[in-house]
Amino acid sequence: MNVLFWIIFIGLCIKTGALLVSFLVNFFVNPGGAKNLYMGLDLSGVKAYSQSYYVHLASLMIALSGLKAYIAYLVVRIFLKFDLSKPFNHVITVLIDTISHVALGTGIVAMIGSASSDWLMKRGHDVPINWGAGEILFFAGVIYIIAVVFRKGTELQIENDLTV
Amino acid sequence: MPIIVNLDVMMAKRKMSLNELSAKVDLTLSNLSILKTGKAKAVRFSTLDAICKALDCQPGDILEYQDEG
Repeated sequence: MNVLFWIIFIGLCIKTGALLVSFLVNFFVNPGGAKNLYMGLDLSGVKAYSQSYYVHLASLMIALSGLKAYIAYLVVRIFLKFDLSKPFNHVITVLIDTISHVALGTGIVAMIGSASSDWLMKRGHDVPINWGAGEILFFAGVIYIIAVVFRKGTELQIENDLTV
Repeated sequence: MPIIVNLDVMMAKRKMSLNELSAKVDLTLSNLSILKTGKAKAVRFSTLDAICKALDCQPGDILEYQDEG
């Protein structure tokens, strides 16, 4: 699992970097490049309609990808700190709590992106981006519940450690 | 915490070291130290039983309630 999340983390970092570089190059050097922003993603219609909407959508995509990479990094840190003999400890609880909050923020970013895409699509522009806002928010809720359970577990573990 | 652990007082009265008590009650030194310094959150009856037997005393000799207010 540790190796898998390292691969996911590196993959998401590469995706974020590629999106950022591609966006900056398309914005400042090659204005026609919006037809293939990343892996065939075509936002040329949006760019032709409004430069600011194009920047808005691309920024949200970069932020979303960056936040996903950060979540993967936090999961990697959990696997580095996880000790099966004492699973409930303060560090893991803080990390899971942080993941739930970052996931909530990611979900909100995805929701804004999704709403922006819907708004643009209603005006006849093609926005081929799958934001997945609902799924991210659902998982943020699930992770928050796990964080609450871990917090209680940590309290019990400390009490157990201090029982002689 | 208003519960005071007087383990060190009883050990001094019986002239018993922490190592000796640890061996008699079958508790680790770190656990005895937690109890002695008052950091313990709970004490098992079995532990209390073993300590009272080793020090030949009553639970009240080891534990004391002091009102903080």
